[in-house]
Amino acid sequence: MSEALSAEDLLARVGQQDLAALGELYDRYAFRVFGLMMHILSSRDEAEEILVQAFQRLWSESSPLSEEGGSVAAWLVVTARQAALDRLRIVRKGKLRPDARAETAGTEEGIETSSRNTKVFTSAPPAPKSVPKTAGPRTGAGKSGPGGRAKFAAMAGVPPAWLPRPGEIELIDDRLGLLHKVINQLPMSQRQALELAIFAGLSETEIAAELGEPLGKTRTGLRAAVTFVKHRRRAILGKWAANI
Amino acid sequence: MGCQHLEEIYELFLLGALSEQGALELREHLARGCPHCLERIREAVETVYLLSLTSKPARPNPQAKTQLLNGFQKK
Repeated sequence: MSEALSAEDLLARVGQQDLAALGELYDRYAFRVFGLMMHILSSRDEAEEILVQAFQRLWSESSPLSEEGGSVAAWLVVTARQAALDRLRIVRKGKLRPDARAETAGTEEGIETSSRNTKVFTSAPPAPKSVPKTAGPRTGAGKSGPGGRAKFAAMAGVPPAWLPRPGEIELIDDRLGLLHKVINQLPMSQRQALELAIFAGLSETEIAAELGEPLGKTRTGLRAAVTFVKHRRRAILGKWAANI
Repeated sequence: MGCQHLEEIYELFLLGALSEQGALELREHLARGCPHCLERIREAVETVYLLSLTSKPARPNPQAKTQLLNGFQKK
């Protein structure tokens, strides 16, 4: 398939049930999504399971995503991150129900063997054009009733309307190395707090407990860190001339 | 409701780090269709994207792609 096609062009083809287009999107983004999954889950099997689920879900939700015109890369990264963190929370709390595992992995074995026995690929993925049972995180997403699709999207990732334009993400991709240096400029305690939020999905309260800090300090530090990154990003991407 | 007090929390909301109360307040505000906040939340998604990609890319098992695509073909 032509390299000239944008991810959004490919997504439109996915909406027409073009498997080759899905494969092309996978080739473009699987490495970065899988790297993120590994960072969060520390298990190749679990990471690959969530990776595949993200692409299954992309297939299922391609039409509304395509209509909105948001960035495919952003959707994949944010949605897969959310799904991985939900998996992590379940594992962490020891609440991985056998039936939940069976839905996902085609096995009724429990948490003790789940990371070694992830067989998601042996069960057929959901049919195209339907929201897959297994794609979303188990945070109540499945409780959506009438009008529940927006709720599903909001809980499992971001609604399509919230996605940045593809051009914005391309700018970030072009300067990702520089942007990551910004994060290394953060004070250590702020960086630790931010990493716990990004890769462990902890709340402010949980981060404070993890770092042994007063909640107020963690809260202030996190806001300062995010504001610093946001301002630097604007400056690096040429969107804000302020000297910060 | 003004939006200024929300400026610092869009990213934390998306990261899932906010308290339930803070997240609820922002979610309700967004649900009312505030155009300013919609723009800010898009920008926040960009920030979450770049933060998430501080993880190093890694190569999944090649079988993953095959099985993903084969699974659809079987349908």
